[in-house]
Amino acid sequence: MNLQSSWYVLARELRLSPRSPLVFFAIAMPLIITFLVSSVFGTLFDTSPSLGIVDLGESQVTVAAVALDGIDATIVSGVDTLQERVEAHDLDAGLVLPDGFDAAVARSENPDLAFYVSGESLASTRIILAITTLDLVRGVEGSEPPVTVVMTPVGDEDYVPISDRFLPLMVIYAVMIAAMFLPAASLVDEREKRTLDAVLVTPTRMSEILLGKGTYAVVLAVILGFVTLALNGALAGQPGVMILILLVGSVMLALIGLALGLWARDVTTMYTAIKGGGFFIFLPVVFTLFPGLPQWIPKLVPTYYFLQPIYDIAIFGHSFADVVPDLLIGVAICIALVPFVGWVARRSERELAMTV
Amino acid sequence: MTGSRIGAIIRKDLREFSRNRFFVFITLLVLVLYVAVFWFLPDSVDETVRIGVSNTVLSTDIGGVTESGTAGFALEIYSSEEELRTAVENGSDDIVAGIAFPPDFVESAAAGETPTVRILVPAGLPAEIELLLEGAVSEIAFGLAGVAPPVDPITEAIVLGTDRAGNQISLQQQMRPMILIMVLMVETFALASLVAIEIQQRTAVAVLATPVSVVEFLAAKGVFGVGLALFEVVLLGVLIGAFAVNAPAVLVILLFGAVLVTGFGMIAGSYGKDFMGTLMVAMLFMIPLMIPAFGALFPGSSPAWVKIIPTYGLVDAMLQVTVDGAGWSQIAPTLLLLAAWGVAAFVAGAFILRRRVATL
Repeated sequence: MNLQSSWYVLARELRLSPRSPLVFFAIAMPLIITFLVSSVFGTLFDTSPSLGIVDLGESQVTVAAVALDGIDATIVSGVDTLQERVEAHDLDAGLVLPDGFDAAVARSENPDLAFYVSGESLASTRIILAITTLDLVRGVEGSEPPVTVVMTPVGDEDYVPISDRFLPLMVIYAVMIAAMFLPAASLVDEREKRTLDAVLVTPTRMSEILLGKGTYAVVLAVILGFVTLALNGALAGQPGVMILILLVGSVMLALIGLALGLWARDVTTMYTAIKGGGFFIFLPVVFTLFPGLPQWIPKLVPTYYFLQPIYDIAIFGHSFADVVPDLLIGVAICIALVPFVGWVARRSERELAMTV
Repeated sequence: MTGSRIGAIIRKDLREFSRNRFFVFITLLVLVLYVAVFWFLPDSVDETVRIGVSNTVLSTDIGGVTESGTAGFALEIYSSEEELRTAVENGSDDIVAGIAFPPDFVESAAAGETPTVRILVPAGLPAEIELLLEGAVSEIAFGLAGVAPPVDPITEAIVLGTDRAGNQISLQQQMRPMILIMVLMVETFALASLVAIEIQQRTAVAVLATPVSVVEFLAAKGVFGVGLALFEVVLLGVLIGAFAVNAPAVLVILLFGAVLVTGFGMIAGSYGKDFMGTLMVAMLFMIPLMIPAFGALFPGSSPAWVKIIPTYGLVDAMLQVTVDGAGWSQIAPTLLLLAAWGVAAFVAGAFILRRRVATL
């Protein structure tokens, strides 16, 4: 194999690929997914009850409510606005604190308190906000509760919040589009436009083309995977280890992508195969999102062996030594894929009626 | 303009569509997957926070204290703290946390002493539930000590808007417009691809070399696009129960939706240079058009900028009809807005496609 020929292929990919909409897609997708997960799904699964407060005096209830963890308290300018926002369910509940409220409570005068709840708010949310409001007013009243409450943590210490469980999804998207989709689409495109035939009539061999395209895809995938982890604050202080794991995953997916690109007759077939088979590549992500499912199933899928090490390091703070066994299996899968890609390449060459 | 020539082009497009493995696969996949996902989603909303309590003697007193606020708050009684701890660890009986009262809690609290109560908090318990538990335990103790609350936000709460307590909108209902829009989006891409292929392979030129006029060509594309999108979305709508309430209104909403996405499909197809290019252009339309459907998953009103997205009317009208049981008069303004967007997108699509064909 002539490495210089592979370098020419790589240089050509670097020169021409910025024009491809797919490269734009590959670069934009991690950013879009990160945004969606952090701003949309994160919020969707982790919503705190919201309480609007109209404070007509300077009540300490407002100060305490805004400082509370677990309640999303907002100061609203007027009663009409508060009622509109509660009715539209922009807020779960609304509280109007009249002027002199704190003093009236301190004097045990049972002052008027307008407490509005949205018709669309859940019954559980209503009771949370009502009890919390009552607790805040008790605080202003100055009466100490005749009980000592002790919080005792029990159960699973390895609990992972839902927003963190999305990490493998973001990583697989970033790596898959660049490492698998890009070389597959590039090969199919070159075959459809017959530029692959043109390159193969030169001394360049198919293996050198695959090495050039694969290297480009792997480098881009590692960069995008690393950026995705950095954007999500998931490098866990081990950037070198993360790059190594991303490298294994990118090589694995690039080999699958090259085999797919050689096998698919046209872009439609390639796309259909990705849509059909993509589920298996994404399977470990499903099991991370739902940890109650039997966790031996994702171990049957190759992508598990780079996604799980990343997850273990980023979320559970594991060391490199802890993830070496899984990573070695990932490396073994990559090695096993090489002769498979070689076989598909030879078959593809025969179809093109060319010699290596 | 003759119907037979338009019909011939539509038949040709239908043949092309059925021969395309990708479109057939993705259409079937979308139908099967979305129907499965829809029926897998919860069809009701659990509004109750279930708390485990480890003191059987207390059950009556706690029930008395929290009687007015029992909606949204349920107690599960366990005979011992150990049993409660196991239940909290395993999440048994759907309890989210536990309150371990000491055996002499009632006597101590009534005597003005300060007993210690342990709240068993499982990992990942939301902070608001901790607030609820802490507040509830305090109120129980205050109640036993005979200290009345200074205000009563539980029983004196004023409900604004339609009170949905016990009748909340399920995730299934919320997801219905989103699933229907997803299918319409897939068909946008299918039409865009068919148009793009026609332009790339210059078959449009061949068709226009026959007595077929540009208007007939565009009409055929439009009818095919609307028909394709409408057929699939109606089929899916039937399978996910979208026609259970005011079926004619739902059908009209979907028809306008199909017209809308056909317009965008023609625009994307006119600009797409190949499969990938068409996919990218179609995505540029699909992502913003999905935003109103995503927005429907969140509580509260949509921001003003979401309301100017063409699919907002589609989502809003669909939710009004299928969730609130709205009639024609209630959805008329939204429907008119959707129709206006549909016509605008369709006219723009036809205009852009016409110009593109003219340059071939």
